[in-house]
Amino acid sequence: MKPSVNRKNRWIAAALVLPGVLFVVFFMLIPLFSLCLTSFFPDELFSLSSYFSLFGDVYFQQVFVRSLRLSLLSTAVCALLGFPTAYYIAKHSRHKGMMMAFAVFPMFTSPVIRSFSWMVILGKKGIVNSALVSLGIFAKPQGLLYNEFSMTVGFVQLFLPLMILSLIGVMDHIPDDLSEAAGSLGATKLGAFFHVVFPLSISGLVTGSVLVFTGCMTAYTTPQLLGGTDTRVLATMIYQYAMSLRDWTQASVVAVVMIVVTMMISGVFNALSRKINPMA
Amino acid sequence: MALLELKGITAGYGQNVILRDFNLNVERGEFVSLLGSSGCGKTTTLRLIAGFSEPMQGTISFDGRDYTHVPLHKRNFGFVFQSYALFPHMTVFDNVAFGLKMRKLDKAVIQRDVMQMLKLVDLEGFENRYPREMSGGQRQRVALARAMVIKPDLMLFDEPLSNLDAKLRVKMRVEIRRIQQELGFTAIYVTHDQEECFAISDKVAIMNKGLIEQMDAPSTIYNSPNTEFIARFVGFENFFELTRMQSGGFAAADGTAIRVADQKPGERFKGCIRPEDVQVRPAGEKGPNAIPGEVMVSTFLGRHNQLNVKTAIGEFVVSADQTQAFPIGTAVTLVLTENKIKLIG
Repeated sequence: MKPSVNRKNRWIAAALVLPGVLFVVFFMLIPLFSLCLTSFFPDELFSLSSYFSLFGDVYFQQVFVRSLRLSLLSTAVCALLGFPTAYYIAKHSRHKGMMMAFAVFPMFTSPVIRSFSWMVILGKKGIVNSALVSLGIFAKPQGLLYNEFSMTVGFVQLFLPLMILSLIGVMDHIPDDLSEAAGSLGATKLGAFFHVVFPLSISGLVTGSVLVFTGCMTAYTTPQLLGGTDTRVLATMIYQYAMSLRDWTQASVVAVVMIVVTMMISGVFNALSRKINPMA
Repeated sequence: MALLELKGITAGYGQNVILRDFNLNVERGEFVSLLGSSGCGKTTTLRLIAGFSEPMQGTISFDGRDYTHVPLHKRNFGFVFQSYALFPHMTVFDNVAFGLKMRKLDKAVIQRDVMQMLKLVDLEGFENRYPREMSGGQRQRVALARAMVIKPDLMLFDEPLSNLDAKLRVKMRVEIRRIQQELGFTAIYVTHDQEECFAISDKVAIMNKGLIEQMDAPSTIYNSPNTEFIARFVGFENFFELTRMQSGGFAAADGTAIRVADQKPGERFKGCIRPEDVQVRPAGEKGPNAIPGEVMVSTFLGRHNQLNVKTAIGEFVVSADQTQAFPIGTAVTLVLTENKIKLIG
């Protein structure tokens, strides 16, 4: 009576995923759908007017471009910092477990606390400014806070662990004899890295980039605390529309734009990776 | 002077020394196999030659030049890995072309050499495939082509056939030997498969505990092992004490005279003989080299019965006609074939 057992197992398996599915449907898919509806029906009638007026708005354009710029920049910095770190941990570290624990350690504190720490570090009387002034590099303390610089620093610190973890996961599975093979065929260490290790790490780089980029685009605390009033991003703009201006339609329009853009950029990352490593 | 010389090599990992005062000479054009069980140091030796690691002590010279510290990518040695180590993100063509691209050769030259090499390993038409789309045997041939296309000064093989099934293994080893003879390269081949290395090599170096116990032509090793370790390795299973008598002949431990055709200077030896070179005769039979015994165990092995026979000079493992039954306790006479007994110092 094997088939009936199988069928029974299938039902049990289905029952196992049911709570999760229900949760996602009720608390994500339905709200998301109604969010989209709100944005397309500003006055009970279907209209794209909210979108047109939003994209025509110079202030929104600035915020939109700034969000993209900061997220892409932070993603790039995370990639540049994360790649060598992950490479070292995956391929050359003797204490891999401990190194990974160090890498994810910042994730144990909340983004709020981390942002406050940066306020202390980057403030007018913070250690960075004190150092710069006492070393004579600047005559007086610089405005390092509440601008795009401090926001990028905050983003990078917030999301770098995601990049490192994604990369280690992939690099761990690159056999060492591939680099040896490249070397025996005449590639220098650097050559072996660029021709073999790098292309094979691309899938980790893409996963990491998507996570970091999405994180940066949607992060609220960090830009709110480390950014200023003239450096709003989409996430803080949604808050402004929803909570300060009570304009739920406009807030949902921005939210939909944010979701679509994030998905599009993630798609671009994937397409790029397939160009470099068609088998990834 | 030998093409490749390893002199006084000590190597290992940290506290774990695998090779101690190790020496090896390989002549130009030779196909040399390093044979031994796992942990004997054969792969360590090969990786030292390739340049994947450096010795703690000793020198490696190649063609008269000191190669001990020449970096991996400047050695121009081809290496074939047990795992093949093909680049998974590159097509067969790009895998084979890799070494030529590193040498910054002209595109047309690369195209020509790669296609020529793919033809040699019988992989024409596969140049746009990815490694994961190919069978084990095909991948092995890509690995071979990739290592050979750079016209290496030396080819190194690290158990290249151990991931293939038995039939393909035999086919590929013939193929490797054919290509080696055709191109005339010098090769060092690491394996733990005795048949494979005998079939493919000009010379076999049998390694044990980080040292070469014997390095000779396969037939010499098979017929005249130098040590008990090698003798056991090539199928001698019966060992017994022999002492030279005043008459010049030999006596076993219990004084029985044993005739031995093999000649070696010395007084005390170990005689050894393969199971198939011991004849099983009815009890009571007399004659030269006849030893009475009693069957302890009889094992059916298909082509023959393997008998463990207890005698006055030790237990013997012998092959008997499988159509004849030898119940435990049967008294028999063993006759040791005179010219099949080998003397070990």
